[in-house]
Amino acid sequence: MDKFDVVIIGSGAGGAPIAHTLALAGKSVLVLEKGPLLRTQDQDPRGLSDFKRDELYGTGPEKRLTVPGMANQGESYYGSHVEPDINDEPHVYVGRDGRDRATIEGYTAQVIGGGTQLYGAVSLRFAPMDFRLQSFNAGRTDLVDDPTGDVQREARDWPIDYDALEPYYGQAERLIGINGTATNQAKPFSAEHYQTPLNPNAISRFVEVGMDALGMPRYRTPLAVITADHSPSGRRIPAGDEPAKTGYVNRYGDPLGLKSNTWVALLAPLAGRPNLEFRCNCVVTHLSQSNGRVTGVRYRDPAGRPVTVEGDLVVVACSAIESVRLLMLSAEESQDFAGRIYKSGLLGKYFLTHCFGGAESAMPGRYDKSVSLDSDWATDFCAGEDFIRANGLWAGGAMYNNTSDQALPISLARTHGSQDLDTIWKAFVEDTGLTGQALVEFFDRDFGTRLSVSFMANQLPLPSNRIELHPAVRDKWNRKAAYIIKDWHSHDIHLMNTLAAQCAAVLRFGGDEGRGNYPVEGFGGIYLAENARARIANHVLGGARFGSNPNDSVLDPDCRAWEFDNLYVTDGACMPTSGSANPTLTIQANAFRVADRLLERL
Amino acid sequence: MAVRLIAKDDQYVLNHCTKYLARENPEPRHVYGPDAGIEVARIAEAWRFPIIDGHRDPDEQAASQAFNEVTFVYLAAPGALPTEVAVIGSFANLYEPLAMRQVGDTPYFTLTAVVPRGEAHSYRFLVGGEALLDPINPQRMTLDNGRVWSRFFTQDCTIPLVLEHWERRLLERLCDHILPFRTPTAENFLARFYDYLDRQARDAQYPNAYRFDASVGVVNYIDKLLAREESHHQADYRICLDLINQVVRQRNPFLDPARMARDLYVTLYEEMGRNDVPGWDYGRYGTPRYFLQLLRRHTFTGAFAHPKYGGNAGTAAWAWLAERYRDGDGETLFDWGRALEPPYGRNPAYRG
Repeated sequence: MDKFDVVIIGSGAGGAPIAHTLALAGKSVLVLEKGPLLRTQDQDPRGLSDFKRDELYGTGPEKRLTVPGMANQGESYYGSHVEPDINDEPHVYVGRDGRDRATIEGYTAQVIGGGTQLYGAVSLRFAPMDFRLQSFNAGRTDLVDDPTGDVQREARDWPIDYDALEPYYGQAERLIGINGTATNQAKPFSAEHYQTPLNPNAISRFVEVGMDALGMPRYRTPLAVITADHSPSGRRIPAGDEPAKTGYVNRYGDPLGLKSNTWVALLAPLAGRPNLEFRCNCVVTHLSQSNGRVTGVRYRDPAGRPVTVEGDLVVVACSAIESVRLLMLSAEESQDFAGRIYKSGLLGKYFLTHCFGGAESAMPGRYDKSVSLDSDWATDFCAGEDFIRANGLWAGGAMYNNTSDQALPISLARTHGSQDLDTIWKAFVEDTGLTGQALVEFFDRDFGTRLSVSFMANQLPLPSNRIELHPAVRDKWNRKAAYIIKDWHSHDIHLMNTLAAQCAAVLRFGGDEGRGNYPVEGFGGIYLAENARARIANHVLGGARFGSNPNDSVLDPDCRAWEFDNLYVTDGACMPTSGSANPTLTIQANAFRVADRLLERL
Repeated sequence: MAVRLIAKDDQYVLNHCTKYLARENPEPRHVYGPDAGIEVARIAEAWRFPIIDGHRDPDEQAASQAFNEVTFVYLAAPGALPTEVAVIGSFANLYEPLAMRQVGDTPYFTLTAVVPRGEAHSYRFLVGGEALLDPINPQRMTLDNGRVWSRFFTQDCTIPLVLEHWERRLLERLCDHILPFRTPTAENFLARFYDYLDRQARDAQYPNAYRFDASVGVVNYIDKLLAREESHHQADYRICLDLINQVVRQRNPFLDPARMARDLYVTLYEEMGRNDVPGWDYGRYGTPRYFLQLLRRHTFTGAFAHPKYGGNAGTAAWAWLAERYRDGDGETLFDWGRALEPPYGRNPAYRG
């Protein structure tokens, strides 16, 4: 059997930092990745990338849902070339009517680099407050819409604080390659490693004006896209005028490798070292253990044949739902594994995403939104203690604008009236009056004019929001599918309403030079969506939280499973609370932190 | 001339196989056309095979853009590894058998050929002396001798594959109505744009562009979509175009449907939108509105997608947006060519 110092399952934000650190230290590292090893132009022998600037790569052709027993059987679905096929690998959620539906929500991309290939690249730090929400909320009597005291019962401090993670935020920012500005962020920086941001898209001026009028300190949204040659990864900027700005950023892999996914930033620079091996197109089916030591990692090779490998340390980081599912599937194979992993009874519980939503409007004038990254301005106005207390909130969130939404014609039409993959194209095809002259007017109104401001905020952790194994639905390997049961707490709804109103205010003040009367077409939280229970924003968090008390967590403060000697979980699953920002940078920073702990052991 | 073959590495082939082909659950979960068969229903996105990809020869960059790389994959049955697998087809010299190599020790056999864009070809696999249809790719074509072979087509293909001549003409009328290009300003734009693309430019940049017409090649895009990615919708088009043909002929028995007045199609379109079409055979197809919705998505996508998919002829739809939306200085507010590869766009780094 192949044996390695460490076997890492997943090559995205939770796995790649560990592979990078340990491979650099000379340890033997195997990375198992379920998806393909897709290359940039520079890495391809022909000089052609497997990623394209092609709108049909963002959402492919229509497919028909056939998963037995699903209420949405027969409905259309769409996915990118590196997202799983729902018929083969469904995630099942319980809708408002109590019926099961298959969804693509809650999947990050399955490809080398994981979710960081398709993400919007927003790379914010969490605020110090995010790490101590239990302490912050202790004894408060001013929380709105929390009639049964869930905040005080369920909020948890992280077992590490901001200061412990701060050096690793810096390390991640430096090694990943992120542009942005630190001034005005509500997060202390011991050093700034950002590259210089590109000029904002002209439409973002409305956000600048709006935030200034409202006294919201703003900064350039940190984005994981390099804007200058990046020596840690050896990537160089090609000739051209701001070549990273294309409109093909969010939801697209980058053929030039300027978007800083974990493959181009952390893994590819070390490829070729004899002690680092990538096995792509390999899906791990379960782990076996003996006396609390994971002794075998079993996977299917690219042809589907079973293979077992061994690691002194085993790191699970295949995005929270799939990581939790892998632990549960392993527990089904072995009572002893089950007894250990379920000891606290919390595996799968406290599944989290973010409270998210925002505001959107057509702004005065027209702009070329295709010359854009994804976001230009951000503010921590809603992450500070004053704002949180003044609004009776348990926690805060970040706000930032999106410029690349609907920047290209097909994305404009397919997201007409919808923002997610489950309902994409729906409104456009049903709006049958949109033809000929009416279609011209649709373009006149919406093409190059629309601007959105989003928020990303903490969701209250609840044991009832959870991941299970579905009793009946199987994936293409005959393994039980993930079953996602979640809903929004009344306080989440209050929080979303509060932050959505702030987003709307930015546009209302931004649209008319600070007078505050510009009409905003729509704003709200994601709980309002038809499929609100499914919506995850690809921020899959929790389900195996880490903590200092073995009875109250699945993982110890180093992300090691409590009853195991060598099993670690380092993706978003470890998060006890979801943070006030997009999670990727924090997952990366924490993985760098855990990597240092692992080095001490090896 | 012998076909050019390319050695692709194992990683490339496996990258395009595992997600779609490797599995254990035998449930037929994937929907293709009615004739695709149950084995194909156990494959995700069977239409991806053979793999059609861009080609680039670093020594002949410009010339190589006229070609695709076509990677054939044969998946041997478990426990029955054949000693030799080959592919024969119209893309190669006189149907010469081309030996496929085994990918590592896997049951995948593969071969990559360089084939010009804009073509459609027949092929079979030679396994154990038998000439087999491709068990993965559901595309078929009937040769002149009546034999059925597997088929693939390359990017920018304008050869009609699925729709009959009368179906295409009828479809064009419907697509015209959905798209913005029948409005006076857009018609004016298209006339100028197509005129501006003089013959030389057309031949050099868009040799395969379907037709420079008001539906910007969308009908060709739909034909290709029905041949491959969305072959499960072939039946919808077959039945509904037949029914539409009947309905419009009832309404005007004296004219060829493709020549009937625009108003007639506008009325029909609105009736389909209401799911209430007098004369429609609801027994054969219950929801004309569903077909209209399908057509809306296909038409819009075809018009505004990358031209390699067969629509957006000569990038006309992008150019229309680029001209319509300009700032006070006349600079475009949709500079799509900035990001895209030559010859469509002008990005110096991105190669498509």
